Amino acid sequence: MSKRARNDAGCDVDMTPMIDVVFQLIIFFIVTITLDQEINEDIELEYAKHGPIIEKELERSITIEVDDRGHISIQNAQLSLTKLHSIMANRTKKFGEFPVYIRADKDTKHADVKSVMDICTDVNLWRVSFIAMNDDKS
Amino acid sequence: MARKKNKGEAAKLEMTPMIDVVFQLLIFFIVTLKQQDILAHLDVFRPQPDDKPPPQEIDDMLEIMISRDGYWMNGSLIPFRSMDRRITKLAKYSQDMPVIIKCTLDSPHKYLIKTLDSCSKAGLSKISVFTM
Repeated sequence: MSKRARNDAGCDVDMTPMIDVVFQLIIFFIVTITLDQEINEDIELEYAKHGPIIEKELERSITIEVDDRGHISIQNAQLSLTKLHSIMANRTKKFGEFPVYIRADKDTKHADVKSVMDICTDVNLWRVSFIAMNDDKS
Repeated sequence: MARKKNKGEAAKLEMTPMIDVVFQLLIFFIVTLKQQDILAHLDVFRPQPDDKPPPQEIDDMLEIMISRDGYWMNGSLIPFRSMDRRITKLAKYSQDMPVIIKCTLDSPHKYLIKTLDSCSKAGLSKISVFTM
């Protein structure tokens, strides 16, 4: 009887670090998972080994995603061309020129990429950047 | 004295579930956590519509056409390797050489990326993308 009571007491004392660690890990999780949802995971990028690496996305930059079926999205939220146009027009009104990244799937038809680029030119953005995978591993 | 000893034993005993849970989480992590991709950016210019069409008379201008079938230079379909070689060779004369890439509407985006990568390797930066 007395042994049991002692065991219970020991258990109580040792729960704290476990809860601490688990809690820390859960918080880390939540933070990382939210970051992951901001891009469209279906987009498979083409490799470009020689392109300059993006160390940090430039200020006020916008990344437009175009998947292989021509669907356009920003931060994984799908948009129509007219909606994208109004977003871009508003942004240029606010900030002037800003960097545009186009994250297009490798099998996207050029016509779909062109429609995004045309919107950029329409709001006086003459420079666009394409995002590709820099294959550092192989 | 006896009490102290008991406490120590209990602490040792209770380490196991904590290690279990931490280990489980660690494995879950390793499996789920995707390594962050190293991304590259390839910059291009768009032709201004109010400008004249690109001056065709400039000799040292590199023109590449991309269709659904592949890469075209000087009117002939060429494989990627020979285009890459040609770009590298031409870029040795002048890195300021303007490059014009013409894409057909049905060409896949990967050909454009490959071409831009090739230009980036050669150090060419004045790249414009047209659509045909």
